[in-house]
Amino acid sequence: MGVENNELEKVIIQSVMEELARKGLLSQKGKDHMMSAAMMDTPIVPNLQSEEMVTFPPQEEMQIANPFNADAVRAMKKLTPARIGIGRAGTRPKTMSLLRFLADHAVAQDAVFLDVSEEFLQRMNMMSVQSAAASKDEFLQRPELGRRLSEEAAKSIAEKCEKNVQVQILIVDGLSSSAIEANIPDLLPALMQGLKSSGIKVGAPFFIKNGRVWVQDHVASIVNCDVVISLIGERPGLGTAESLSAYMIYRPDENTVEADRTVISNIHKGGIPPAEAGAHLTDVIKQILSAKASGVKLNQQK
Amino acid sequence: MPESNNQRITSVGIDIGTTTTQLVISQLTIENTASGSLVPHVEITDKEVIHRSQIYFTPLIDRDLVNAVAISKILESEYKAAGLSPEMIDTGAVIITGETAKKENAKAIIDALAGFAGDFVVATAGANLEAIFAGKGSGAALYSSERHQVVVNIDVGGGTSNYATFFEGKAVDSSCINVGGHLIEFERHGDRITYISEPAKIALQITGQRLQVGERVTLPQLRPVVQAMAASVVEVLKTPLHSDLTQKLLMTPPLQLGHQIRKVMISGGVADYVYAENQPTTMTEVTAFGDFGPLLGWELKASLKSAGFVLEKPNETVRATVIGTGTQSVNLSGSTIHLQETTLPLRNVMVVSPFSAIIPETPLKIAEIIRNEIIRLQMDHSEGVVAIAMKGPRTMSFSDINSLAQGLLLGLQDYIVKDKPLILVIEADCGKVLGQCVHASANRLLEVICIDQIEVDNCDYIDIGKPLMGGRVVPVVLKTLVFNR
Repeated sequence: MGVENNELEKVIIQSVMEELARKGLLSQKGKDHMMSAAMMDTPIVPNLQSEEMVTFPPQEEMQIANPFNADAVRAMKKLTPARIGIGRAGTRPKTMSLLRFLADHAVAQDAVFLDVSEEFLQRMNMMSVQSAAASKDEFLQRPELGRRLSEEAAKSIAEKCEKNVQVQILIVDGLSSSAIEANIPDLLPALMQGLKSSGIKVGAPFFIKNGRVWVQDHVASIVNCDVVISLIGERPGLGTAESLSAYMIYRPDENTVEADRTVISNIHKGGIPPAEAGAHLTDVIKQILSAKASGVKLNQQK
Repeated sequence: MPESNNQRITSVGIDIGTTTTQLVISQLTIENTASGSLVPHVEITDKEVIHRSQIYFTPLIDRDLVNAVAISKILESEYKAAGLSPEMIDTGAVIITGETAKKENAKAIIDALAGFAGDFVVATAGANLEAIFAGKGSGAALYSSERHQVVVNIDVGGGTSNYATFFEGKAVDSSCINVGGHLIEFERHGDRITYISEPAKIALQITGQRLQVGERVTLPQLRPVVQAMAASVVEVLKTPLHSDLTQKLLMTPPLQLGHQIRKVMISGGVADYVYAENQPTTMTEVTAFGDFGPLLGWELKASLKSAGFVLEKPNETVRATVIGTGTQSVNLSGSTIHLQETTLPLRNVMVVSPFSAIIPETPLKIAEIIRNEIIRLQMDHSEGVVAIAMKGPRTMSFSDINSLAQGLLLGLQDYIVKDKPLILVIEADCGKVLGQCVHASANRLLEVICIDQIEVDNCDYIDIGKPLMGGRVVPVVLKTLVFNR
């Protein structure tokens, strides 16, 4: 049955090709090429054993076959990480564009589902605690659990952390563990240097696993700090999975609303470079401390 | 902490050329364009010309002496006409261009005017800078960035023609040739020669023409030498192999021709005759301004067309340079500015770029390079203020930025002791953190200006004005004198 179908297919292809060639829509050479492809009996099967690394051509490489104004395409590509100027194969994307899309999607998924590595936390010499969400699945399915600390975490923070500091820094995985590993090594020392040379008293930064932004309110209630700042992984996109945000709030309490938080976002190597962000955050924190307010209340004072 | 989100500043551009002197006053709007969740980014968002002066003949005492008194009178009356006083001018530039820049008292004039024309008015001169300002004022720079096409602007004035090649809005090449409409002077609307300049004498000699001061000439007698000059202007666009005449007339190294050129824009006093419908048919028409500008314009058009170049029309012709000077000379830069306001403005800060390749890893090696560069330039520490320019740290990591800060402090130890401000200009987006690292490593209060995201690759001197926007930015004027050194 399969074989018969295959034969039938060949016949159909052949008659279509001949018809096209007759109408002058296909060259003789083109017809021969397609026919020989259709006559091949062995299907092309990818070699699943191979673990060869795929290297993509650089993003800025010209993918359009015959651009009318190549300089214009290059200039536009420079302005955006979006997938423009990628050419097409008929009505579909080119193989390389499609592969790149799938790869970027995989990177984004990894950013969400993977944990910040133990090795990284040891290297940064940071205490690690966990939110009330016990696992990644629970964290993703039950947002409210990521907004408060586990009982064990609350206990160790109460025991180990310095109280009544001016600034408490939290590193929170949020929706991108990759953002933490990519940015914190350069951001944190810049921020610590800035705060210290301004004479601001800072508690030892620590890491919260499976945490969301609001978990900072819970921490602040325990350590009794003036400003709490969370460096948290942003929801990854297909442009980058390494973007980090900094959420800051002045003395949160039960009346706190979202508008009370100040945020600096888009921290990654293609956005605000992490070290530069550290210096800028120092300035923002100084403003918050002197205004004794954050978020919209801070902006209204300006 | 009150921080206004936009501010308007008044900028003046003064162009003293071989033939004409003019000024424009513009209002620049500067704004923080970044959204609240990003690092503030202050830039010029609007430029509006609020006053255009008359076009004056440059007042000269004799052929080599510009009349400074007459020029300051022109300024005075034009300010009055615009309803402004010198104190109301925030920034701007005086540019002495073309043949005039060669004249012996040009520097004295620049100094006199820089004081007269507002608190922070920058004096600049130099053929290449003029070319770039003209191309920005004519609209060539904008054309290249909007259409993504290479365009060359040639500002053809009384004494010189200044080329600037623009690619994606940036000047990438420039040159200057001693061809202009005023190189031979005539009785107005007449045919008697009253003056022949040196470059015109060279052109006459090479083309085998014999014209003398006091002689009367016909159009057919005059045409060959003008054609030869026009051909020289076009030759520079076409080929690096130049005729004898072109070689003699070039005042700077020629265009490097790194980009293929098809589109050409002409600005300057001669431009209106390049774009004219009809050619001048009598000597009376040619010498309407006491020179041969109208004929040069026509011959230039003919020469460009026969060489296959496409002529594009500029937005501004005769005022291109002055508008470019007034509106385009100022950059704004923010980042770390720890400075007593009285230190500013700083004029003619020499730019030193010590790092030719990648910046080394350790502070000691960085310091060594800086010290060697200072020795190489034979800079005396008692001299003026210098700015250290660089592309970026070795990598954007905090440790490399911190090492760079330590290396800079170490290498500039002797310089800082003199209580001079430390001025750093860096292309990469890390000015704030670099400034912070310098402060943290210095152990004492230093005056520091750390400016980022400004390219000073081709720049020799910068001027830094008084801070704007609540101290967040300073106006910076880059003085690009040459491209190829």
